[in-house]
Amino acid sequence: MYTFNFRRASNLDEAQQIHQSSSDAVYVAGGMTLIPSLKLRLANPDDVVDLSQIDGLGSISSADGVVSIGAMARHCEVAATSDIPALAALANRIGDAQVRNRGTIGGSLANNDPAADYPAAVLGLGAIVHTNARAIAGDDFFVDLFETALDEGEIITRVDFPIPRRAAYAKFANQASKYAVVGVMVAETDAGIRVGVTGAAACAFRLTSFEEALSTNMSASALDGVEVDSSDFNSDLHASAAYRGSLVTVMAKQAVDQLTT
Amino acid sequence: MEEQGEFVIPATPQEVWDALQKPDVLQECIDGCEEMTLTEEGTFACVVAIKVGPVKARFTGTVKIVDPHPPHSYFLDVSARGGGAGFGSGRAEVELQAVPEGTRLNYQVRGTIGGKLAQIGTRLFQSFSRKMTRTFFERFSQRWVR
Repeated sequence: MYTFNFRRASNLDEAQQIHQSSSDAVYVAGGMTLIPSLKLRLANPDDVVDLSQIDGLGSISSADGVVSIGAMARHCEVAATSDIPALAALANRIGDAQVRNRGTIGGSLANNDPAADYPAAVLGLGAIVHTNARAIAGDDFFVDLFETALDEGEIITRVDFPIPRRAAYAKFANQASKYAVVGVMVAETDAGIRVGVTGAAACAFRLTSFEEALSTNMSASALDGVEVDSSDFNSDLHASAAYRGSLVTVMAKQAVDQLTT
Repeated sequence: MEEQGEFVIPATPQEVWDALQKPDVLQECIDGCEEMTLTEEGTFACVVAIKVGPVKARFTGTVKIVDPHPPHSYFLDVSARGGGAGFGSGRAEVELQAVPEGTRLNYQVRGTIGGKLAQIGTRLFQSFSRKMTRTFFERFSQRWVR
């Protein structure tokens, strides 16, 4: 690890002020990606701004058909909620127990790892990401590999998930890291059928061809013959692009089977 | 790692060829490129700062043009070191072909990365290199779209 200044912010304004006045600052939420990167000397910021002592950022509440999850809520806390069982189940399968006890939903979304689970939920459930400056529709949030709609220094404060009529998440996990090789959230919401896919491409995306097929017929067989274009999919030592393309269909079918039985 | 692709650039093969030899053009088009200098005919030295999620590293490298057939084809030999972060090397084959819209550029890359970046980075390397390549040709094509 290289040396850096550890700066603990007590409120959002202070956190942003520290960030702005530093030549190279990063926020730390749960630190499940940042700390290993620092330890491997793959990152070398001047200032690390800790968000953990800011009041209210970790609260979870539910009202008027919306589950509102504070950005600093840990994965294990989301896993213990009951209003959206598919979201709780997704959180319960992130990483291992240590990661779930430290990692946060806000940190995961701001990082936008292409294999993270939460992006599939934000897209699949049609969530809204709130920041200290504005509200960003989930559909507009994920831009590219590790790239989000967040401005430099902007902080996620909470994520609002509308409670779906029914939803399910299926993932094929890497056995070592438990990252999603491919993960698919299928949801029937008041606004229609939504399908969010993570792990397959540079960042999570909605699969509209599946959404259309499932809108006419909510059954796994409805996805037979619906082509998945895997030409831009990720390819690494764990899975080729074509394999990931095939997994998208298999995981989507598993999710559909879960929510129809 | 292997990667291939093609882009159509709205300029003649000669214009594309000439532009691809200019350090200032390359610097402008490579995302995060801080320096690009011609050290001798056909050899460039460069410094590129990359940012992939939590990873930030500054790579110094050389790019060498091998077996040029202007304005049709050449090989690019690339090697780069990123301090503690790791290293990479590779060879790209570039072909230019005149088409009605301008020039079709085909490329094929074979490369390897090593060091710490390879330990945690193979998962991300292809997506990252694809993004860099896309950005490069988008910016490169923009030169002729005014």
